Amino acid sequence: MLHKLRIASQGLFLLIFLWLFLQTESKGADELGYPVKIFLDADPLAVLATILSSHNWYKTFYIAILMVFITVVLGRIFCGWVCPLGTLNNLVGSLNKKRRIVPKAGWYRFKYLILLFLLTASLLSLQVTGFIDPISLLIRSLSLAVYPGLSYGLSVAFDTVYQINVPFLTGVSESIYTGLKKLLLPFQQPYFYQSFVIGVLFLLILGANLVEKRFWCKYLCPLGALLGLLSRFALLGREVSEGCNSCGACLNDCQGAADPEKKEKWKKAECLVCMNCDDICPQEAVQFGFLKMKSAPMDLGKRRIVGSILAGLVVAPLMHISPIKRLGVSYPKLIRPPGALDEKQFLTKCIKCGECMKVCITNGLQPAFLEGGIEGIWSPVLVPQVGYCEYRCTLCGQVCPTGAIQKLKLSEKSKVKIGTAMIDKGRCLPHAHATPCIVCQEVCPTAKKAIWLERTTVKKRNGEELIVNQPHVDLEQCVGCGICEAKCPVLGKPAIYVINIGESRSKDNQLLL
Amino acid sequence: MNRRDFLKTAVVTGISLAVPGSENPLTGILEAAETADLAVAHGVSPAGITKAAIDGLGGMRRFISRGDVVVVKPNIGWDRTPEYAATTNPEVVSTIVKLCYNAGAKKVKVFDRSVADPRRTYKQSGLLDAVSSAGGDISYVDERKFREMKLHGLAISSWPIYTEVIEADKIINVPIAKNHGLSILTLGMKNWMGMMGGSRGRIHQKIDKSLVDVSMLIKPNLIVLDAVRILTANGPQGGNLADVRQLNTIVAGTDQVAVDAYGATLFGLKGSDLGYVVAGHEAGLGSMNLTKLRIRKINI
Repeated sequence: MLHKLRIASQGLFLLIFLWLFLQTESKGADELGYPVKIFLDADPLAVLATILSSHNWYKTFYIAILMVFITVVLGRIFCGWVCPLGTLNNLVGSLNKKRRIVPKAGWYRFKYLILLFLLTASLLSLQVTGFIDPISLLIRSLSLAVYPGLSYGLSVAFDTVYQINVPFLTGVSESIYTGLKKLLLPFQQPYFYQSFVIGVLFLLILGANLVEKRFWCKYLCPLGALLGLLSRFALLGREVSEGCNSCGACLNDCQGAADPEKKEKWKKAECLVCMNCDDICPQEAVQFGFLKMKSAPMDLGKRRIVGSILAGLVVAPLMHISPIKRLGVSYPKLIRPPGALDEKQFLTKCIKCGECMKVCITNGLQPAFLEGGIEGIWSPVLVPQVGYCEYRCTLCGQVCPTGAIQKLKLSEKSKVKIGTAMIDKGRCLPHAHATPCIVCQEVCPTAKKAIWLERTTVKKRNGEELIVNQPHVDLEQCVGCGICEAKCPVLGKPAIYVINIGESRSKDNQLLL
Repeated sequence: MNRRDFLKTAVVTGISLAVPGSENPLTGILEAAETADLAVAHGVSPAGITKAAIDGLGGMRRFISRGDVVVVKPNIGWDRTPEYAATTNPEVVSTIVKLCYNAGAKKVKVFDRSVADPRRTYKQSGLLDAVSSAGGDISYVDERKFREMKLHGLAISSWPIYTEVIEADKIINVPIAKNHGLSILTLGMKNWMGMMGGSRGRIHQKIDKSLVDVSMLIKPNLIVLDAVRILTANGPQGGNLADVRQLNTIVAGTDQVAVDAYGATLFGLKGSDLGYVVAGHEAGLGSMNLTKLRIRKINI
């Protein structure tokens, strides 16, 4: 039976997806060793939107071209057989036991209008597609919310058993925990700003399946819309023979909004090729096959189309007129990962998929809120107090699907500045408080240390003299990695901190002549 | 050392000990070794000089008994490859692990609370692979296993210390000799910072006394100071090969202060130049008077 084959395929691809997700984590070597971003590489929407918004070609576009080709031949087989978010929707949808399902008439158009809006905005260099591209959305939701939440929940449970220390039980639970740590759990508990918002949005998308199965896929998914347009004249089609007695069984099991009961007036672009109608038909009247081209024409409505294009045209300039786009006004703690393109280019390429934040070895890469403007929401920003940039790590550039963060060689990485450290002499122990401390200098990773110590005699309150080493930053050497800020013992508001001035990617945001 | 070598050595040692006045060269070494305070071995093979230095003190069996759970504590603090001399030489550590097993240890555990990301430090230092293939049990530090311990020290009254090192039957400290911005050099006593939990950066405010306090709590049965390569500047992390000097030397001893005092001489300094060595000497932790110590030098 075809639908069993389809379910096997869905399961297989979901497992591959999740396994690659788990591999998006350092094991200590310089490279990850797995093509962890392959689902994003194969996502024609992400690729198209990025090419449009950045006016720049794309290295791995050929995998997406392959997807386009497959869709032109087989229809939205990606949606029905491959897409991991589609499969999750499918799984949650199976909890929905409503018998009679009537798709909301006309709602299927939303996703096309969303797609038009996104692509128009992209043409005006506004990259907002990643917010709702399903692959980007899924990776971000898993990385920043679901996986950290799962890890936290499990560790609290196992830690409780560990702390109580029940004989035997604790031994058993610890060995399960060790196994889970090896197979499933992250190396260390990840923490992310905005996990809650991202998690709730994801739950809403999954929960919508209880209103109607595959609600997201039918009405909202812009990638589904793009693939729908491509599958409009797909070679693989569907035919209903004379035997059909219009019992409507196919309508209940249709995973798309394809109106399968309408025979040759069905909506081909809405078909997910799930094959349910073929399998379920009591009369065995439904047949899939090549060159069965008959279907209803697509009608999105001219006014709606014009409306979404206009919306795309308006929103781009609105987002670009914030003063934070001006030099010297931009948020000084907007520290982008090493290898990130110049801010303007970066924003046109970053699809906020969260891969870089998932892989960041210190957990320092965090989803931005409004630091980079509305279009920069959920783009990566280094927060050194959470985690610094590990000097010899190049993973974020390796996993970035769009090249917003360039892949750097180790030798290149050591020269890239992401910002500059500044000392707050009013807080620093040797500067302000006649107390020895050299932590920032000790941890500074550059070959010639960017932090140097000046031996100085200072006076204590009682007049006693003391020799301390006062740290200074060598602006030429500092790469802005932020380990000094991360390890500074003046917790809460460190006495040394990094701002983005001097970042290599910017021509203008410079300090030194 | 493989099993065959071990048996051979054991048999030869046994015979030479049993036969008084035997002309076996081993006898001479062993007799002297029983009374040596420090053994300093020099030679091109890190494994060879590690073994030679420990043999110079009487061999691993003097320190490890059958069934012991041993903790070997190298420096795995930084994300550097071995040639940068920021982390303990992997061959030195794997040799010690093997010697422990040969002496009958039940389990040899290796760990360090790294400063940089532990996945990178363990892997890039070469220690993860070297210790694993020597059969050692190398693990990442589990933050749950730090427990607040009373030190009643000169600077620290209590601090979270890693329980696995306290619970071990035997402890071997395997630091690497490096330059350091505050304490001038980081040698054996400073290596215990890797067993400290919490916000340990604070101890730099009273570094010398703090190091003595921790060294009073964690007392190693043996210290093997790795000076195969030493880092002479930009320590303790390094990153420039020009700062590295190849000394091909191992210093072994049981007195924490004495080993560090000798370590200072490798950099052209004296033990009395290092605040924590002086503080350790004064607190009775050990002796920094190298002239009063029996130092056995071995060239291979």
